[in-house]
Amino acid sequence: MAEAQKKRKPWLKWILITGGVGLIAAVVIIYYLFTLKYDDTADTKSDYTVSAMDFLNEFKKNDSLANKKYTEKIITVRGRITELQPADTTINIQMTDTTSGSYVIFAFQQQHLAEARQLKVGDSVAIKGSCSGGTYSEILDAEKVEFKRSAVVK
Amino acid sequence: MKKTILFLSLVVMAGATFAQKKKTTTSATISFDATTKLDALPKGDNKTVVASIDPKSGAVAFEAQVKSFSFANPKMQEHFNSSTWMDSDKFPTATFKGKISNLSEVKLGTDGAYTATITGDLTLHGVTKPLSTTAKITVAGGVITTAADFSIKLADYGVAGPAIGAGKVNTDPNITVAASFK
Repeated sequence: MAEAQKKRKPWLKWILITGGVGLIAAVVIIYYLFTLKYDDTADTKSDYTVSAMDFLNEFKKNDSLANKKYTEKIITVRGRITELQPADTTINIQMTDTTSGSYVIFAFQQQHLAEARQLKVGDSVAIKGSCSGGTYSEILDAEKVEFKRSAVVK
Repeated sequence: MKKTILFLSLVVMAGATFAQKKKTTTSATISFDATTKLDALPKGDNKTVVASIDPKSGAVAFEAQVKSFSFANPKMQEHFNSSTWMDSDKFPTATFKGKISNLSEVKLGTDGAYTATITGDLTLHGVTKPLSTTAKITVAGGVITTAADFSIKLADYGVAGPAIGAGKVNTDPNITVAASFK
């Protein structure tokens, strides 16, 4: 009798196997997506390497074109530090075009805050980060380009 | 004696003039927490917010580039900027323009700790709505430090994606704002 039932429902076994494999795959994918983290920017290849002033000029000339080219890309920017903006748990570094007031600003990845704190105004450095794009600031009446998850290039 | 009094008067006047100048920062911080029991990922911060405070008029303004919000999880950041959530390609900046409505009680030129009521308009996702919140303001040696904590309703700003409907994103996220004006 039991033998007859097994023969009658061979598809049941395949449905259970397929369902089980699908469930395991779904759990693995969800776990992967939930635990995904950004790579260390220091170990990520730059899409572009630019000088701070040339970079700012590209945004001032045509910011929609520059945004298309650079936004969400990893960029290494070379320039002189004009401002350090330390706060309780963070530090931002700024490279400003003193004639127009436009600037590039870098917020750092947690693991690179200590090396950013070692820098001083006037230092010539290369900083690599994820470009958030450029916008015009009505408050400052100046163009600004912001970076997140930055690292000092050694 | 007269010269001393004149000199001290000039120092006080110069100090008052300095205290009344509009102050700005390019490094204000806005943190955003929309976590729920189902999802601990919708949580990020923007550390490069432009802000200003005018001690004379009590005017306060903030400009936050949406793409500058940084999340630990790349997928979360992608969702946050997508057309189903903040649509940052279309609405690249969130702004607040307002003023301290109890300026007579908040002495921005005098060292001390104050509780300010800030009222103004928040523009997010292309929608402008009035916003009122309290902020803690500390003045020390000419540095004005502000901190505010409030929540908004995403639906008020036309933000309603599938993840929000599914309960994975808090419909009333908590927003923390901090700025130091030197």
